[in-house]
Parts: sequence; C-alpha cells; structure tokens
Amino acid sequence: MPRNGKLVRVSLVAAAAAGVAVVAVVIAGTASAKTTAGSVNGAGSTFVAPLVAKWEAPVSSALGISLNYNPVGSGGGVSAITNKQADFGASDAPLSQFDPTCSSCVQIPWALAATGVIYNLGSLQHLNMTGQVLAKIFQGKITNWNSPAITKLNKGKSIPSKQITVVHRSDSSGTTYNFTDYLSHVSSGWKSSVGTGTSVSWPTGEGEAKSAGVAGGVRTTPGAIGYVDVYYAVHNHLGLFKMKNRSGNFVQPRAKGILAAASLDTHPAKDGSLSIVNPPKSKKFRNAYPICTYTYVDVQRSSGGNATNIKKVLSWAITMGQSFGPALIFEPLPKAVVAFDKKQIKKIHS
Amino acid sequence: MTSLDATTDAARRPFPGRRARFGDLILQGTAGIAAVGALVLVGLIVWKIASGARPALHAFGLPFVWHVVWNPVHGREAYGAGSFLFGTAVTSIGALLLATPIALGVALFLSELAPGWIRGPVTALVETLAAIPSVVIGLWGILVLAPILRDHVDPALHSTIGFIPLFGPSSYGSNVFTGIVVLTIMILPIIASISRELFLTVPQELKEGALGLGVTRWEMVRGVVFPYAGGGVAAAMILGFGRAVGEAIAVALVLGDGLGIHLNLFDTGQTLGGKIALNYQGSGSGLETSSLIYLALILLVFSILVNLLAQLIVRRAARRKGLAA
Repeated sequence: MPRNGKLVRVSLVAAAAAGVAVVAVVIAGTASAKTTAGSVNGAGSTFVAPLVAKWEAPVSSALGISLNYNPVGSGGGVSAITNKQADFGASDAPLSQFDPTCSSCVQIPWALAATGVIYNLGSLQHLNMTGQVLAKIFQGKITNWNSPAITKLNKGKSIPSKQITVVHRSDSSGTTYNFTDYLSHVSSGWKSSVGTGTSVSWPTGEGEAKSAGVAGGVRTTPGAIGYVDVYYAVHNHLGLFKMKNRSGNFVQPRAKGILAAASLDTHPAKDGSLSIVNPPKSKKFRNAYPICTYTYVDVQRSSGGNATNIKKVLSWAITMGQSFGPALIFEPLPKAVVAFDKKQIKKIHS
Repeated sequence: MTSLDATTDAARRPFPGRRARFGDLILQGTAGIAAVGALVLVGLIVWKIASGARPALHAFGLPFVWHVVWNPVHGREAYGAGSFLFGTAVTSIGALLLATPIALGVALFLSELAPGWIRGPVTALVETLAAIPSVVIGLWGILVLAPILRDHVDPALHSTIGFIPLFGPSSYGSNVFTGIVVLTIMILPIIASISRELFLTVPQELKEGALGLGVTRWEMVRGVVFPYAGGGVAAAMILGFGRAVGEAIAVALVLGDGLGIHLNLFDTGQTLGGKIALNYQGSGSGLETSSLIYLALILLVFSILVNLLAQLIVRRAARRKGLAA
C-alpha cells in the first residue's frame, strides 16, 4: 500500500511538472511571436530616454514600426546589445569604455547634449566658474563659497561665507561620464586621482540617485553644488554656472554654446566616438560651452531579420528625429556627423 | 526534514487501513510540489549568485569582504565590500536600538494599558504603518525627513552631545543618521505588532496572580509579561533586524552613497543592498557586475545567519519554558 501511494504521488508530481512546462512553452511562444510584427526594441542610457520617448509616436506613424525603449542605463544597454538581447543599445560613454565591450557592433553618435553645473546660493544667479576651480571643489580642496578662487571669478557679487556641499550621482550615469571627462581634461590632479567614468570613486560629497535626485539634493541644501543633464538644470530654477571656456568667455549651456562646441569634432574616430569637451582656444569656439557630449547608439553589424527595420528607425532618428531635440535641449547633429552616421548605418546587414 | 519523519504514519492518514482518497493525494501532491519548488528556487538562487560572483571571487578573493574601496573607473577598477558591510551593520543595529524600546512601549500600551476605545484604531494604524512600501518611506525620507533632520535635529545633537564622536559636524541631508531613522520607522511596526500579540498570549491568571501578590503594574510587566514573551520578542527584533539588513531602496535614497568607515553618523554611508540597487543597472564592466553580485552573496550569507540566530533564540526560549518543540 505505501509503495503504491508513493508511486501515485510521483506520477502526480510528474504530471504537474509537465503542466508547468507546457504553460512555460506557451508563454514563451506568445512572447517571441510578438517581436516579429515590425518592432525595434532598444535598451540603455537614461540620459537619452526622454528624447527616444518623444520619437516613439512619430516613428510608429511615419514608418509603421513600433519603437520600444527600456532605459536600463548605459551599461545595461551595452550588455544587452553585446548579448543580442535587444536590437540596439544606447550608451553615453563610447564603447571603448566598457569591458566586456561589443566588438561586433557599429557605434553611431545620435544625440548631442550638455551637462549643467547647478548650485544653491539663494537668489545669487549666473555666477562664473572655471574647470580648475570646479575640480578642486569636487575633490574637497575648496570647501567654502567665499574662497578667493571663487570670489575672484565673480567680482562685484557678494558671495556669502558658506560651506560647500558637493552633490553627485550615486547611480552610474552618462552625465557623470561627461562631467568627469571634462574635469579630467581641465585638471591633471583630477585625472590622476579620480579619472573618467560613468561612475567614479568620489573623494567627497553626497550621492543622490538620478538627475532628479541631484537637483532635489541641491535644491534642499543651501550651499550645495551639483551637476545634471542640462534639461534639469534649466528647468529647476536653481543657480546655473556660466562655465569659462578656453577662449576666456563664460558661457551658459544653451543651444548656441552647445552647437559651437559640437563643431569641435565632426569626424568621429574609426570606432564612431567623438569627444567635444573643453574645446581649444579659437575664434570658432569663442562661444562654446565646455561640458558637451555626444551620446551613442550601438547596433550589431549582423542584426539578422530585423536589420531593415533597425536601419529605417536609425536613419529617421539622425535626420527627422533631431527636430524633437531642442525642446529637451538636445541640439541637432552637425551635418558632417549625420553624413558619418549614414555610412555607419550602411554597415548594418541581416 | 526531521519534524516530517517524526510525524507518525497514523497521523498522516486519519483512517488507517482505508485507501488514501484521491483528494488527499492531490493535496499531498500539490503541497509536495510547492515545498520542493521552494527548495529548488532557493538552490537556484544560491547557485546563480555564486556563479555570478565567481569572477570577482577569483579577482579579489576573501579580502574583498573587508576592503574599503569601490572604484569602477575603466583601467583602475578595484572593489571591496568593507564600507557597505559596515554601513549595513551600523544602520541596522542603530535602527534596532532605536526601534526596540519604542516598539515595546507601543506593544505594552496596546496590550496592557490602553483603554478599549483607543486599542482598536491604534492597533490598526500600527499595522498599516508596517504595510507602507519602503520606496514610499524612502521618498518621504528624502523630501520631508532629511531636510528636517539636517536643519534642526543634526545640528542640535551636534551642539549638545557633539563631544561623542558619533555626533560629529553635519552638512549632508542624506547621511547615516537619516538612514537609521528611516529604517527605524520601517521596522518599528513589525516589532510592535508581533510583540503586542505575544503580550496578549500571556495567561491572564499569571498576570492576575502577580497583581494579587501586591506588585505594581510595572513589576508585573517585568516579572511576568517580559519573561513569558521574551523569546518571541527577541525573534521579533531579529525579524525587524533582518528587514533592516535587506532593505535596499529606502536606504539607498537617504544614505548619500558615501565610501569609508567612520564614527560620525552625520556623514554619508552606503549599505550592501543600497549599492546593488543603485549600481547594478548601469554597471559598465563585467568585473563591476560580478562584484555587485559578490555583495549580494555576502548579503545572502548575512541574512541566513540572522535567520538561523533567530530560530536558535526562539527554540532556546521555548525549551526554557518547558515547551520544547
């Protein structure tokens, strides 16, 4: 009897397991069936996410392709495209910054933006700042607002004696990459002790999650300084520094300054990367804002059956798609970059 | 396993000699699958975490556990869990120390002292507090609590008892102390509601007997209620501690993501769970991802140890009472 009971029990277990397996197969089947109906799925950078979200509706109506984007962060985007789990990955840092990286991918700069440096000193607006002083503040070497290094840049403004509270990103971010890349360009001390990355080992300060967290931290902390995507910087009614460029001018992160910087490097390196931080001293870059960046989309060269759709969406994004940018303070790509991008897109095949 | 074997065959089959009915078999089958499924799931999780952490284990070995470093910059990568292990311990222990006396007070008030018309609504409120999602408490912590603590509480503590190194100079709104207060709010209702129910199980005769001997109410609580419910209260504390240890989102939002080991509660910090939650998505390198999974492994081992400790304490308390399982 007991043996018989055990047998029945075992067969029940087996039957239930089979049932679970059938359900799983059915679910998997419906999921994979969905992706074949003219859709392009991407993942990656949160920095570019507002722009891609704006693209979804027009792409659907103009091309009949449904564009789906999952803002999981640049690292997640690169790993998704490396492992072929998505049709494209979006990243703020160039592919060379990732390990493991996607060696079988083409890298396409597809949006242009900037990082704003914000501060909270009550009603004191439009203060001037230089990269060298900024690097010292973020290293914890300048800790008071009325340090001579800061007051010297802002003659005629009465800057109070107040402790500086540094606020930075606690999650990995393309904004951090852009900001630390700039500090590494202007300060050898920063370059050797901290360096450039989507997240770094910060010498000082308080970490907050996402641009909204940094903006909130700066807003609620008198004497705070932080950096955010320029869209947040402009819309948060906080103090926004005019940054000194190498031509000696103090520039706001607005369209004119960003576009001037973008003309620095319109011929991407072989891998598709472009660096436009801290443009040199020249008449051409007189009005350039020094903390600007391209952000990239990465696609597998052999993208299989969906290659045609991916190419259509990307061609649209680098041309028509750019017109949706300025409202979010993403400036249109320079012509030379668009021409380069078209060549890159041609490399994608099935 | 042992408790299953201890159950006699007769207990499993209420009518010996009769064939097991189909319904019983279905019950046994489904329950058995669920039990095995839970075991398999835990096994898979452990296996997956261990295999994900292998590259970091290989690169840093055991010293990873106490090294205080986290540098994801390409070309100078170095990782260690020391800072986050310290942050986890400080915030959880701090929260436990703050929450326990308050929770016991709430539980005693609701079970022994409060008039009937207060009991019901306040009990319901305490239980509601336990059900608030941690991300909501975290947001509230950032938007409401952190500025209040930074502007009023932290400076006041620093200027009055600042000679204690724990209460050093403060400037950050997000700091270890804010994290402790947020965690306290999260675990307080857990400890309070479990303790309240335990206090209610203390036999009325014992309490009345004590009072009949002429002791005060406090002496009755100390001499009868606490000893009777002690083991359970300890388990409730450890349950709360376990939640504080595993909490990621709320503390990730209010700790300020600092690196380092320091006494000052008003400086920034980070926990194991918080670091994983903040950095897993954007992780730029295989080694960073693997190191984050290594943090998860440490967290897992830590939680299992806490759980085992809780079971040990409850079992010892039960044995002392003569109710050994």
